[in-house]
Amino acid sequence: MNSKQNNKSQDQNTEKLKEIPKWTRKYAQNRTLTSLAVIVITMLIGMVVATLSYLAGAAFIKGNMNVFRVCIVVLFAILVFVLIIRVSKFGGVIIHRWIDQLIYDDEGTASMPEPKLTKKKKWLGYVVGPIVGSCIIGTMYLGMEGYIAFKYMQPVSALYLVPFLVHLYFQQRPRIGPLVLICPILYTIHAILILAGVPIFFTGNLCMLNLALPAFGYTFLAHVIAHVYSRYALKKLKGLTHLEGDTANGD
Amino acid sequence: MEIDKIIHEPVRLRIMMILDGLEQADFNFLVTTLGLTRGNLNRHIEKLESAGYLKVKRSFKGKVRNTSYQITQKGSTALAQYWENLDLIRQSVQS
Repeated sequence: MNSKQNNKSQDQNTEKLKEIPKWTRKYAQNRTLTSLAVIVITMLIGMVVATLSYLAGAAFIKGNMNVFRVCIVVLFAILVFVLIIRVSKFGGVIIHRWIDQLIYDDEGTASMPEPKLTKKKKWLGYVVGPIVGSCIIGTMYLGMEGYIAFKYMQPVSALYLVPFLVHLYFQQRPRIGPLVLICPILYTIHAILILAGVPIFFTGNLCMLNLALPAFGYTFLAHVIAHVYSRYALKKLKGLTHLEGDTANGD
Repeated sequence: MEIDKIIHEPVRLRIMMILDGLEQADFNFLVTTLGLTRGNLNRHIEKLESAGYLKVKRSFKGKVRNTSYQITQKGSTALAQYWENLDLIRQSVQS
């Protein structure tokens, strides 16, 4: 009887070991803290740029050219900094790696394979990004000029942003997990709620936030959820891999 | 039917299973995830490396030396074969 029970328990333990690759993958795909740090930096830069642009505009109108010049110089410096962060060849990879090391130094590095992109897919990425960027600027401009009602700015942007974010996920698989899809899902729900009459939009000078706030907010939220899930996956993984006493230190 | 003795050892089996789910993992990750001492992990990794089951990649992270490990095709095949054989043995014991 005891022997049968032992066999059964050994079988269950062996079956559990087969789950190790699954939890390892889930952990590696959801290590989003570095991206989260980059998102926060981008949000802060965005806020500084918006404030400086407003100040520069106000100074120009009032004829205070000294303040205007200072604002333009600082904006140019920020543009250079953003280029360094965003364009890998200028050191974005180094900064990304430095943040990664700062955050994950204690627990080490585990990574999923980079997506295999054909030349055609790479070129598609170079084309689609600027097109979506132009669409965002276009929507904002049309919104401010009154061609698109404030209410419909976010739903209009959902028409191109949601497919773009879903495309990004499929392009980056298996390096990132499906939890990042929370962002386009929430963005779609936000648009549907606005169309249903829920007043979750900005008007007047704050109309730019109709796109910026949901886009950054939901991306941030998706990354936080993914990070929490990675902690859970790591806990599960350690539960499966930790050995005690002689087994751990034996040959 | 034979069980691969190199993989059958509990620590080495876990190392192989971790690396099977990833592109690569570094030494720090394996130490913290497995809860082993550095010396002990080194010993097991050397055995797996000499069997040709792991590939070692040495690089620098800034000024710090970093060692990463990747499962080889041979290691991946051996791991799949190990589970297949183990399952067959368990089935024959049960029946």
